[in-house]
Amino acid sequence: MNETSLPPALDARLSLRVFDGSSAFVVEAELALPSGVLVLFGPSGVGKTLTLLALAGLLDVRAGHIRLGDETLFDAARGVCVPAHRRRVGYVPQGQALFPFLDVAENVAFGLPRGQAGVARARALIDELEISHLASAHPTALSGGERQRVALARALAVEPRLLLLDEPFASVDEEGRASLRGVVAEVVRRRGIPAVLVTHDASEAQAMGDHMVRFARGRTIAAGAPRALLDAR
Amino acid sequence: MTADDVFPVVLSLRVSVAALAVIAPVGVTLAVVQARARYPLRRLVDALIFLPLILPPSVVGFFLIVVFGREGPIGSVLDAFGMRLAFTPAAAVIASAVVAFPILVKTAQPAIEAVPAELEAVARTLGLSPLEVLARVTLPCAWRGIVAALVLGFARALGEFGATLMFAGNIPGRTNTMPLEIFSSYQTGDDARAALYVGVLTAVSFGVVFAANSAPRMLAR
Repeated sequence: MNETSLPPALDARLSLRVFDGSSAFVVEAELALPSGVLVLFGPSGVGKTLTLLALAGLLDVRAGHIRLGDETLFDAARGVCVPAHRRRVGYVPQGQALFPFLDVAENVAFGLPRGQAGVARARALIDELEISHLASAHPTALSGGERQRVALARALAVEPRLLLLDEPFASVDEEGRASLRGVVAEVVRRRGIPAVLVTHDASEAQAMGDHMVRFARGRTIAAGAPRALLDAR
Repeated sequence: MTADDVFPVVLSLRVSVAALAVIAPVGVTLAVVQARARYPLRRLVDALIFLPLILPPSVVGFFLIVVFGREGPIGSVLDAFGMRLAFTPAAAVIASAVVAFPILVKTAQPAIEAVPAELEAVARTLGLSPLEVLARVTLPCAWRGIVAALVLGFARALGEFGATLMFAGNIPGRTNTMPLEIFSSYQTGDDARAALYVGVLTAVSFGVVFAANSAPRMLAR
């Protein structure tokens, strides 16, 4: 099959407005990802995380569209909006957001059907992310890197068609960062799923990204290969 | 103790449990709505929830008579079916429920608001519908606050006096709850009888609040 005839893994144009008290913040973003990892790059407070939330269906989008392969998740003009719980989009927030009343294994299995199949699938992911020794640990007992692995396993458990990672290495120490980057790159490559990664770290953008968009003041202002965009700064 | 002595104790407990059974599902649901939903009349609803807490109980009792009395909009309908609420044990339940309602909602609401929205967002992406998120994330995270809300609601219902006196009266053997019995015993100079119910009310209230404080720690072990 000719690869160029395939639709892009992710194609999105988003216009959204969020209110913070009395003021409104507007985000206008255009994203295109043929395959691999798309990096949303820029300083804090420019709309990267809001864009991620919108892709997940967790924020109301005023206009635009979100297409994942040949499926439309959102299209304002056509009145299409697949709710968040039916998008099968894996989301790992910056704070990981592990459920505090569940242990690691239960966190990973949270989105899976109850029963043996769910337990086995959670177990396989726990092994894959090398956190077997933490299966019965409480989230508060974990390091930043361990929490990130649990959150990643939990997101992967539901076999997402798109993975959204918000500053996945921010809470990880320097030593664990390289190892975790390898883990994230490997799980994405192995599954062949597209991923969108938010970061303000240039080295991280370059190491992880196949494609990149730069954000400034709520808008995407440039798109291209990470190295080219970072060199052009 | 004679049957007459025991009656106000049993009645008070039954009235409080019934009031709690009425307001718990409605109150927790409203607390969730007020904590999470954003809609135009939210502040107005907030103020209305607070009202029975701020108003003198006699005013609440007066409103209840206006609404549920024989001439009232609901009371007249019930009257057509041969049912009367005023000056019945059911009236004591309604009075207790209305007065306890704001305490329940306003104690549960901050506990629900304190649940990180990020947890709920992640749960949505894991395939849970909004109702499933409520059942599997929000309520398990907020359960201590909700238990506290139920306990405080029960305690408030147990101690309700003014609105009950107005709407249910103080009919011996029918609507004389413990707080009313304390008042009437004291008025007639029977201080020993008043002290008996003071002791029972204090012990029950303390026991309920103490158990509610201890239960989360015991269950967490």
